[in-house]
Amino acid sequence: MSPTTASRQSAAMELPGYDQLGASIEPAPPGEVRLRVGAPAFASAAKTMKEGGARFVTMFLADTPERSLVAAFALHGKLILVGAPAGADTAFEPVGSWWPAASWAERELSERHHVRFGGEDHAAQLTAPDPDFVGRQVSGLDVFSIPYGPVRSGIFEAIQFHIETGGEDVSRIHTRPFFKHRGMEARFGGLAPDVAAHVAERVAGISSCAYASCFSQAVERALGIQAPQRAERWRAVYCELERMACHLDVIAKEAETTALYVGQARFQILKEQVMRLRSRLTGNRFGRGMIVPGGVRGEGMMEHDEVLAALDEFERELRRDRRMFLGTASMTDRLVGSGHLQRRLVEEYGGVGPLARGSGLSTDARHERPYGNYTRIGLRVVSERDADAMARVKVRFGEISESLRILRQTVDHLRRRDGELQAMPAAGGEGAACGWVEAPQGELVMWVELRQGTISRVHIASPSLRNWALFDHAFPKDVLTDFAFIEHSFGLTPAGADR
Amino acid sequence: MLEWIQRGLSQGRITTRYPREPEPAPAGYHGGIDVLDAEDAPPGLEAVCPTGAIGVDRHGDLELDRAKCILCGECVRCDPRRFAFHGRYETASRSRAALVLDGQDHPPSRQTREALGQQARMLRRSIHVRHIDCGSDGSEEWEIQALWNPYYDIQRLGYFLTNAPRHADILLVTGGVTGPMRAPLQRTWEVMPEPKALIAVGTDACSGGLAASGGLAGSGGLAGAGGLAGAGGLAGAGAVAGGNLLSAGGVDALLPVDVYVPGSPPAPIAIMHGLLLATGLLADTKAAA
Repeated sequence: MSPTTASRQSAAMELPGYDQLGASIEPAPPGEVRLRVGAPAFASAAKTMKEGGARFVTMFLADTPERSLVAAFALHGKLILVGAPAGADTAFEPVGSWWPAASWAERELSERHHVRFGGEDHAAQLTAPDPDFVGRQVSGLDVFSIPYGPVRSGIFEAIQFHIETGGEDVSRIHTRPFFKHRGMEARFGGLAPDVAAHVAERVAGISSCAYASCFSQAVERALGIQAPQRAERWRAVYCELERMACHLDVIAKEAETTALYVGQARFQILKEQVMRLRSRLTGNRFGRGMIVPGGVRGEGMMEHDEVLAALDEFERELRRDRRMFLGTASMTDRLVGSGHLQRRLVEEYGGVGPLARGSGLSTDARHERPYGNYTRIGLRVVSERDADAMARVKVRFGEISESLRILRQTVDHLRRRDGELQAMPAAGGEGAACGWVEAPQGELVMWVELRQGTISRVHIASPSLRNWALFDHAFPKDVLTDFAFIEHSFGLTPAGADR
Repeated sequence: MLEWIQRGLSQGRITTRYPREPEPAPAGYHGGIDVLDAEDAPPGLEAVCPTGAIGVDRHGDLELDRAKCILCGECVRCDPRRFAFHGRYETASRSRAALVLDGQDHPPSRQTREALGQQARMLRRSIHVRHIDCGSDGSEEWEIQALWNPYYDIQRLGYFLTNAPRHADILLVTGGVTGPMRAPLQRTWEVMPEPKALIAVGTDACSGGLAASGGLAGSGGLAGAGGLAGAGGLAGAGAVAGGNLLSAGGVDALLPVDVYVPGSPPAPIAIMHGLLLATGLLADTKAAA
C-alpha cells in the first residue's frame, strides 16, 4: 500500500473554478487528495471547495513537504487537503469570515500558532479563556447574562456558557471552550508511535478507543503499512462498545433531566454492563491499552461465546427499556421540538456525528470513507429528519442496535478464523498522513507526521469542538429550562474539544 | 409509570455491599502496578516509563511512584519479572509519600475495611460531595458519576452530591490544573466550610499525569510533595508545552490534598474507597474540634 498519485478522476478536479487555482497534485495515501496552491490562492481554493459542496473539516499547520497551512475538506468520499506554504510573515485571507465552520480553527491558529489572517479581531481569547470575562453588555427590560461554568453543577467537565435571557426565553447563548486545554497535540512530539498511543487514549477519555484507532491508522498510512484484518476486527469491537457506552450515557442523562429516575437507573445499569464487558475484555473499563499503531496488543481476554452471550443478554434488556423510554410521554414531550437545528445550519458549520444525523444528514466516516473492518462490513447509517433533541436520541438508539449487529458479526468472524495481530512498523520510518474514524461524538480526523521513527507533529480535528460551535444556535424557540436537555443531546466532551 | 416501577424492581438487588464485604475486581483487571523485585535494577530502566513514575538510584534500587503511574503497562511489557499488574480496586492513600513504593504492598485487611464502614456510619450518613473538573480527560467524570448508579449507589452510605460548594464537606478534583481553572478551583475550596477534605481523583489530579509529564526534566515530585503545600504555592509556574496546563505536580501544588486516588481513571470502587478514607479524616477533625 505505497502512497499513490491521486487518480485523475478525483472529484476535486471536476469542481468549477478548479483550473483557476493553479493547484498541483501531490502523492498521497488512498482516500486522501493533496492539493498545493500558493498562499494568495488559499482562500479562493476554500471557496471553490465550498461551492462544490465540500464539508469543512479542519485547518492546521503541517511540516510536509514544507511548513504549510493546510485545510481539510470532505468531498465525495475523499479527504481533500489543500496546502499552501506558510512563512513566518505570510498573511492569509480569512476563510472563517464567510464560512463559519472555519472560524474557530482560524482563531486557534492565530492565537496559538501565530498564523496571520486578515480580518476581525476578537475581544476574548478563544484558547485561553478568562473565567471572569463578562463578554458583551446586554440591555433591555429584565434581560441579564448568566455565565454558567466552568464549575458546573453536577459532575460535568469544565466549559462555560454565557446565557443571555429574560428569565424564560433564551435570546442568545455563547459557548466558551478551552478551559481545559492541556496541550495534548504537543505531548505526542518525540514519542515512539506505540508509546504515543497512550497519549491518544487520553485526549478524550470517554472515546479512548476511537482516538487510539484514529491515531494508529494515521501512523499506518504514513508509514505505508497495513494492520492485519484480525487487529482491525478487534479495533471495531472496542470502538463499537465505546459507542454504545457513550450513547447510553447520553440517554441516561436525558432521563435524569426529565426526572425519569427509574429510566435513568436502567440506562445507567446498561452502560455499566458495557463498561464491565470492556473491563473483562481488556482489563480497563475504557478499553485502553489495546490499540496500537500496527495492530492491537493482544486478543480480548474473554471467550468469543461469552461475549456473544453477554451481547444477547444486553440486547434483551435494552429492547424493553427502549420501548418504555420512547413510550413515556413525560419524557418525550420535553425532547420533541427542543433544540431544533436546521439541516442547512448544520451543513454550514460542518457538523458531524449523531448531531448531524439527527438533522437529516447521513455523514458517517465509517460510510463516507470506510476504513479497517468497515470496508468489509455493511453499515446502516441511522438518520432522522426532525432535527430536535428527540431525533438525536433516536439516532443514538438506532446506532446502539447497529453497533450490536456489527459486534455480533465481527466477534463471529474472530471466533471462526485465526490470524496475526500486529504488523511491525519498520524502525526509523518517515511520512505524513491523515487518519479518520467515526468516534461516538462524530467524525474524528488526525494528521500525523513522523520523522526518524518518532512522532513530530499531530493535529486533532475533534468532533466535539466542531459541533460545539452549533450550540450557540440550538435555542431558536427554547427556554432556559431546556438547557440541560439540549446540552446532553449534543453528547460532546470538552476534553476532546479543548485537547 | 407503574411499568417503570415494576421494571425497576424486577432485577432484584445488584448493588455492591462494599465496604462491608470485599468487591473483587473481574479477572484480568488492571488496578495498578506491583513491583515484584526492587533490587539490582539495570540502569536506564526508568526511561521505559512515559510519565517518569519509575526511579532507579545508584545502588540499583527501584522506586515506583503510583501517583504518576497511568497504568499504560510499558514497564510490565519491558520487564515482566519486576513489574506486574495487580487487580485491586483499593489504591487510594492519605499521603503522597505512601504511594511511592519500593516493594510489594498488601491489600487492606478486613479490619481496615470494617473501620472504614464504621467511620461512614459515624457521620450519621450525611456527607455532601462537590466535584470540580480542572482539566481531566473526561473519563474520571464518568467513574465519579457511576458512584450514584444502582451498582454502586453510594447514597446508601450517606454520600450526597451537592451543587453548592458552601454545603460541601468533600471536594473531588479531577485533572491536573490548567491556568483558566486555577482561580475557580481556589474559590470553590475557599468557600467550603470547615472541616473539609479534598480528594485528588485520577493520576492527572495526583501528579499532573501524562499531559504534564512531557518536556519537564527533573520535576522532583517523588520526595518533596507532602500534604500541606499551602495554597498558591505555584505562583510563577510556566505553562507546559504550549498548553494551558500549569507546571507538573497536580492539585497538591495549589491546595492541600487529603486523599489521593491514583488511576487513569480509577474505578468507581477505588473512588469510593478514597471517599471513605477522606470521611475518616473528616470524623477525626470533627472530634478534635
